[in-house]
Amino acid sequence: MGSERKRARRYALLSGKGGVGKSIITANLAATLSTFGRRILVIDADLGLASLDVILGITPVSTIQESFRGEQSIEQVLQSTRGFDFVPAASGLPEGTVLTERLTAGVESAIAALEERYDAILFDAGAGIGDVVMFFAGLADEIMLVVTPEPTCLMDTYATIKVLYHTHGTRDFLLVVNQSGPSPASADAGERIAAHLQEVISSHFESQETDPVRIRLAGSIPVDTAVKHSVMRRRLLGETNPDAPATRALTRLAAFIDAAIRNRKTP
Amino acid sequence: MSEDHPRDWKNLDLTAACRILENAGRRDPASVSKDPSEQLQYIINSLCDLSVHDGLTGLVNATFFHAVLNREIERSMRTAGTCGLMVIDIDHFKNVNDTYGHSVGDKVIQSVAAQMKKSMRSMDTAARIGGEEFAIILPDCTPEDALKAATRIHASLNPFTATIDDIVLKLTTSVGLVWTDPNATSITSSVMLSLADQEMYMAKRSGRGRMCYRHTEPIFVSSHEKSALMNISFEERLNG
Ligand SMILES: Nc1ncnc2c1ncn2[C@@H]1O[C@H](COP(=O)(O)OP(=O)(O)O)[C@@H](O)[C@H]1O
Ligand SMILES: [Mg+2]
Repeated sequence: MGSERKRARRYALLSGKGGVGKSIITANLAATLSTFGRRILVIDADLGLASLDVILGITPVSTIQESFRGEQSIEQVLQSTRGFDFVPAASGLPEGTVLTERLTAGVESAIAALEERYDAILFDAGAGIGDVVMFFAGLADEIMLVVTPEPTCLMDTYATIKVLYHTHGTRDFLLVVNQSGPSPASADAGERIAAHLQEVISSHFESQETDPVRIRLAGSIPVDTAVKHSVMRRRLLGETNPDAPATRALTRLAAFIDAAIRNRKTP
Repeated sequence: MSEDHPRDWKNLDLTAACRILENAGRRDPASVSKDPSEQLQYIINSLCDLSVHDGLTGLVNATFFHAVLNREIERSMRTAGTCGLMVIDIDHFKNVNDTYGHSVGDKVIQSVAAQMKKSMRSMDTAARIGGEEFAIILPDCTPEDALKAATRIHASLNPFTATIDDIVLKLTTSVGLVWTDPNATSITSSVMLSLADQEMYMAKRSGRGRMCYRHTEPIFVSSHEKSALMNISFEERLNG
């Protein structure tokens, strides 16, 4: 049986721009995947401005930074909530924004110690293309880009794809279009944005191939007051608004990821 | 602290600092001066120097290099200017080490560093970022200036004759050059370095002793790409 074990599939949620919904999506996705029976580990990888604990309504006993310093073991940092496990991070520590040997070795040893127990690991990474974000992207099997239908966000997403393509050789990206902004967009906004990004990339990236990079739409989440409602109560969407449009869209996203996790290859 | 009085600096514990200086082959503070305040000043100066410079060549070390480059990238973005980055690698350096030993190899590295210092401009920063790999930051210059400066440095190192004791070695170097695009999104020093490295490897693949560079940074989003990207309606059609 031992050799049959599959390695946890690692997802990094990234966005060029901040405040687009990465943390909300990570938290709700993890909870829904665990109701599907998947064993999920969530790591708050936004080591500069960690906020997942706030969204989950948890007060961390200790944080991943303390495990880097050897003050706590990763087991002591780990918390269970809603059927999944969670590694919280401290917020406001400038050291979380600098890629040090201590940080990379700490994250790698934490993953090595925990990975066996899970089907998937979700990294809720910070915004932008800083060194720490790029490090987590490098650890991931899948890059999930969260984008809102706004010009600035599209621009930053494109730049993120370009940087990852050139520095990490990443060629496959999952896209989640989330309407965190105030104005509602049409139902096909997700498809349109994914197709548009794909077209601009294919016609501008220098490559012999027609599609040097492939963009796949993993989900599309409508603007929904239920999101703010759940955040304000520090609860998840399934707990406060189980039938809201955003909740249903997140369940569809979870089903998409669930299929990929189940089909993952043995190492 | 339990003392009632502030600690006198003469009582500071300097053993760790002195040990670092000793290991780095620096002079013993006691041999520099009899005056304790001059000794302390010497220790501080030496530690500052060690934290910034590479011991073998006296060039800036990799850590400080990234700090300077990040600052220059930021400045070029702020002032809509250009910052160049040149990566220099000694060709077939492994052969030198294997044939003549590491002490000759080290002297080759030192003489390449000395030549770099002679041919670069006063505002440039040269660093040793790896075994036989160097980088030079070319701040605040147009792409043409960067190309001119890099070409001059490369020419002075290509070929390069190093005379170590009675061994005469004729060496070549491969160079990668990139520069930031004032119209593009900012990047980090490590991304810029990896781009310059890619150009340097290109120079190696195309026969060594060469310089490869990029007119425009593919990693930066060009104005063409920007306008293509913005050619989607966010309001009317998306709201439709
Ligand atoms: N689908 C949505 N509808 C309405 N508001 C949303 C939606 N998604 C996100 N938001 C709002 O955006 C805010 C920022 O989300 P968050 O997940 O913290 O972003 P990030 O982690 O990307 O910085 C949330 O607090 C919420 O108020
Ligand atoms: Mg967040």
